[in-house]
Amino acid sequence: MAIGRNPRNTVVRILILVAGCFVVFKFIMLPLRVTGISMEPTYKDRSINFLNRLAYLTHEPRRGDVVSIRYAGPHVVLMKRIVGLPGETIEFIHGTVFINGSPLAEPYKKNPSDWTLPPEMIGQDEYFVVGDNRDMPAHDHVFGRVERARILGKVLL
Amino acid sequence: MKIFWRLVLCAAVISLSVWLWTVFFPAPEKVIRHRLAKLAEDVSFDSDQGSLSRLAGGESVAGFFSTNVEITINVPGQEQATFASRAEITQAALGAREKIKSLSVKFPDADVTLAPDKLSAVADVTVDAAVSGERDAIVQELKISFQKTEDGWLITRLETVRPLR
Repeated sequence: MAIGRNPRNTVVRILILVAGCFVVFKFIMLPLRVTGISMEPTYKDRSINFLNRLAYLTHEPRRGDVVSIRYAGPHVVLMKRIVGLPGETIEFIHGTVFINGSPLAEPYKKNPSDWTLPPEMIGQDEYFVVGDNRDMPAHDHVFGRVERARILGKVLL
Repeated sequence: MKIFWRLVLCAAVISLSVWLWTVFFPAPEKVIRHRLAKLAEDVSFDSDQGSLSRLAGGESVAGFFSTNVEITINVPGQEQATFASRAEITQAALGAREKIKSLSVKFPDADVTLAPDKLSAVADVTVDAAVSGERDAIVQELKISFQKTEDGWLITRLETVRPLR
């Protein structure tokens, strides 16, 4: 078996590569497997993605970002899109999202929706998140206000 | 060189002693995590299990809880369920075994915080449950309060937590 002209260097390189992959995929770019249909059609059920945990080191989450939201820890997370920012008022009227009374353009939402929900004030340390699949009934969909501390990072792809 | 090997041997002996200490005298957090893993195992059941085994499994679940337990399950889209005694828990566990073919429960994340007196603890837990016939797993966050008793760490309170409000 050929392992290069200098086997010791090859072993060192392999060890560095393995250690690098371990650090990257364990702490920085966490692999995700999407389960469920709440983010369709943008993210299909059973598709693979990555969570960038460094995305919000230099700036806070932005509207339109798809983020991961933790439960008790990072192993099982919710994947949702941010539509409302801290301090805003959000309302759904016949499927259209209104932020502080103005309609929000949502090009990622492909299917028609009939959701109508009363106005809701978003707290100073909260974001309003919802899935892209609003074709499904609102009561079957997990959405709402989430504390900033629960947002683990931004979905990469 | 002799000193080097003595130091290595000394470090190995210290490491082994620390490891043995943690095995024989585990930290309360470790005991609680182990208890949670055992609870997940006992709550789960398979379609292959016989009726006696299912009955035993259902009854063993209640042993994880204190006699004056308070359980509040609040899942969106479903009625709130409360349980306040071991008998009610046993009944619910047996009822689930009758209605569902199989249930696989896991706690992929468990964050245990011990009280300063080390006699009580709170665990924030993610439940990942796969029910036969259901396409998607049920995921829920729970806040579980433990109390140290003569019978070990028992659950005194269990409530669901909603990450989104």
